[in-house]
Amino acid sequence: MTDSHDDASGRAVAPASRRRFLALGGASLATALTGCSGILNNGGGSSSGAVSLADFRGSGPLVEQRESPSGTSIEDLPDLEGELTLYLGGGEGGLYLDLIELLERKYENFSASHRLEPSSDLANTIIEEYEADATQADVFMAVDAGSLGAVANAGATAPLPEEALSAVPEDFQDGQGRWVGIAGRARSIPYNTDQFSASEIPSTVQQFPETAALQGTMGWAPTYSAFQSFVTAMRLLRDDDETRRWLQAMLDHGITEYNNEFVVSNTVADGTIGAGFANHYYALRVQSGRPDAPIALAFTEGDAGALVNVSGLEIVQGTDNSELAANFVRHVLSAEAQEFFATRTFAYPMIPGVAPVGDLPRIDELNPPDIDLTELADVSGTVDLMRDAGVL
Amino acid sequence: MSASDRFEQLREQANGTASDASSQAPPVLTVVTIALSLLLVSPLVWLAIHASEMPTHRIVALVTGETAIGVTINTLVLVTAVTGVSILVGVPLAILTVQTDLPFRRFWTVTSALPLVVPSYIGAFAFVSAFGPRGELADLLAPFGVEQIPPIFGLHGTVLVLTLFTYPYVFLTTRASLLSFDGTVVEAARTLNHTRWEAFKRVTFPQIAPGIAAGALLVALYTLSDFGTPAIMQYDVFTRMIFTEQQARNLDSAAVLSILLLVMAMGILGVESRISAGRDGAYVSSGDRRPGTIRLGYWKLPATLFCAAIATLCLALPIGILTQWLLRSESTAPGQFTFGLTPILNSVGLAAAAAAICVVVALPIAYLAARGDSGLSSLPERISYVGYAVPGVVIGLSLIYLALRFVPFLYQSVIVLVFAYVVRFLPQAVGTTESSILQVDPSYIEAARSLGYAPLSAFREVVLPLVAPGIAAGAALVFLTTMKELPATLMLRPTGFETIVTYIWLVRGAAYQGQAAVPALILVGVSGLSMLVILRQERR
Repeated sequence: MTDSHDDASGRAVAPASRRRFLALGGASLATALTGCSGILNNGGGSSSGAVSLADFRGSGPLVEQRESPSGTSIEDLPDLEGELTLYLGGGEGGLYLDLIELLERKYENFSASHRLEPSSDLANTIIEEYEADATQADVFMAVDAGSLGAVANAGATAPLPEEALSAVPEDFQDGQGRWVGIAGRARSIPYNTDQFSASEIPSTVQQFPETAALQGTMGWAPTYSAFQSFVTAMRLLRDDDETRRWLQAMLDHGITEYNNEFVVSNTVADGTIGAGFANHYYALRVQSGRPDAPIALAFTEGDAGALVNVSGLEIVQGTDNSELAANFVRHVLSAEAQEFFATRTFAYPMIPGVAPVGDLPRIDELNPPDIDLTELADVSGTVDLMRDAGVL
Repeated sequence: MSASDRFEQLREQANGTASDASSQAPPVLTVVTIALSLLLVSPLVWLAIHASEMPTHRIVALVTGETAIGVTINTLVLVTAVTGVSILVGVPLAILTVQTDLPFRRFWTVTSALPLVVPSYIGAFAFVSAFGPRGELADLLAPFGVEQIPPIFGLHGTVLVLTLFTYPYVFLTTRASLLSFDGTVVEAARTLNHTRWEAFKRVTFPQIAPGIAAGALLVALYTLSDFGTPAIMQYDVFTRMIFTEQQARNLDSAAVLSILLLVMAMGILGVESRISAGRDGAYVSSGDRRPGTIRLGYWKLPATLFCAAIATLCLALPIGILTQWLLRSESTAPGQFTFGLTPILNSVGLAAAAAAICVVVALPIAYLAARGDSGLSSLPERISYVGYAVPGVVIGLSLIYLALRFVPFLYQSVIVLVFAYVVRFLPQAVGTTESSILQVDPSYIEAARSLGYAPLSAFREVVLPLVAPGIAAGAALVFLTTMKELPATLMLRPTGFETIVTYIWLVRGAAYQGQAAVPALILVGVSGLSMLVILRQERR
């Protein structure tokens, strides 16, 4: 009865290695740099005003020798003043608290109270609050466009400031100005460099089930929201039937299930699997913790596999704090804050003046598919389809 | 003193004519209690509303699909296995610590009960850290040429972890029945030439079976509703499916699946009711005399090793791993992540409030179930178990919806949050209170009444002091499970309000794992104190 299940789950996953990464990577990311925020913050966080670029910038081999970011500097923006209520998508979003704290340190009269939960839970909560006319949040900061789209589609957003929208390429904001991207996360194929060379990784998603070398050696995380967004993108670009066939073909080809994409990336680095489907920054996190890990990234072209999803912001309808909210959005899109996302979370910055870390391709060198990210909100249909295909 | 003597006399007189009328619960109590229990299941309204929005053909497709059937089978296998193994671990430990000459019995009693304070998701992380690939054990064995250790993931790993951190329910309830039952009965059986084993099978076991069943029920319902542990241990269960639908904002599917989960819970409750059906006579043979101590002889060493092995796996291992996280995190995380006193006070405050309210609410429910004799009187007690089987996420969604509509001024207040805890954890207080009420001879109350006490003051003067230990144990159980609760806490707390577990969740998500060690150790420490309360209460 349970055999089929053991096959799917009995394979190696390595939260143990997560721990090791955390010790080396997570902690050192925060504090290893001289003069970096970790040390300053431990001094009580009350040192007023003095926040420099070095505070926003991360550390480590991936960050060395970066050019200065360009774009609107935080110094050119009006001061943040007042108390902001922020609903913040958790997990990855927990890292964004560092940014909030830098802003609180810079502006004596600014404070943000945050509510950290999974993005989709917060989207649901905001929609419920909006429908009951009891909005609590001023700003929603989510780690996937699907959650932003759900809130936007429910009519629960207020207009964003023009300055913020004009700073970000159109592909990474809502067509109607209801949300704007703050950090990009590209879909990618992490692969083990001991087992494969870059040329062996197919350049379209469609070829994966047909590539003999990849048989039985791939991993994915179908319960993970980023993977579900990728499947939603495939449904939008092709159709449900083709998507279902692709999922089934991958299953037939032999693929191992993990419960998140950091685990997928770590397992690739361990060599337990040869390649996987994951957001790009997980491989960078693995590398940051284990510089010698045999892991590299490949990107597909023009299809769902090349989707660039975003973390983003929206102003919540019903806020009585819209001026502060708008100014906050502009701050998150400043050159310094974008440098933060690029170097501390390894995300794709959203303004052209800031480069991604390391040797990541520039965002305009990627070839993402042409879709409206707001439409990624239809996760519900995707989950039905994935269940139907036997993936969930 | 003299009063109690008179009680004794009256009791003896009354015993002959085992009265039926006077032990009945007053109708007001019945009505109040039923109203109370309906309030407690009010969150289920949300399930009905959302489930009814789903077209029938989609419901059919959902519940008859391959996935639903697969996870249902997986879940039932898991619940059966965890419950079974918990009995196999918990009952022997209870017997060893109550009835034998095991060395350091008091010490082993504490270590056998304590694993309940370790949140099972932290236990799961510890096990993966220790026994997973690239874990401590693998590192330890690598120099000896061992390259592969058997995988910890899957059904066996999930059963192992869940059993190790929930078996204390069985241990505690079994222990309570062993402590309260009349040892002379066993001696009588022995004088009738029964072997120890026969005496156990024919005399002891039937007496403690309801106690075992009560603990097993809590284990089974916990396993049914747990999401975190199977997810970490990579075993696909029903709650994973509910979680997936909820994350996709497929709330109607999540509601339908949750109702199915409740149906399973009711099945489990039905099984337990049958086992406990014979408990009516339980108090009759309760007495102060313990059976003679069983001499372990040659078995002393294996028995001690058994206790030690369980304590090592359940306590030494997770605490060791947490300590290691602590030591390996060379630096502290940025200011937003500093851990202060506030989350601890918040956690303790919430847990204390939940415990206090639970014991007050549990008292009438337990009294009615123990003393009432109409079919209706055990209904509130049965209903109270339903909330225990509902995943925290579902309670959270439901209370957000209901609070916004009906009590908007309480939305995101600690009041709604504490209500959620009461809904989820009340049965633990009901269970312990009920079993201690059952052990109070009803003729005591009759005696008090015949001495002119009003019903309520008779209850207060006579019953309450006798059941106080059961109430305290219930409060402690609610306290420590509230300390561990994560999903409903995340969803319902006031904005900016952090508890120990929400803090652990935050730092783990932000990848500052070393920061999770101190709060996790504090959580275990504070909850451990409440476990000592439980153990102190049991010897009056």
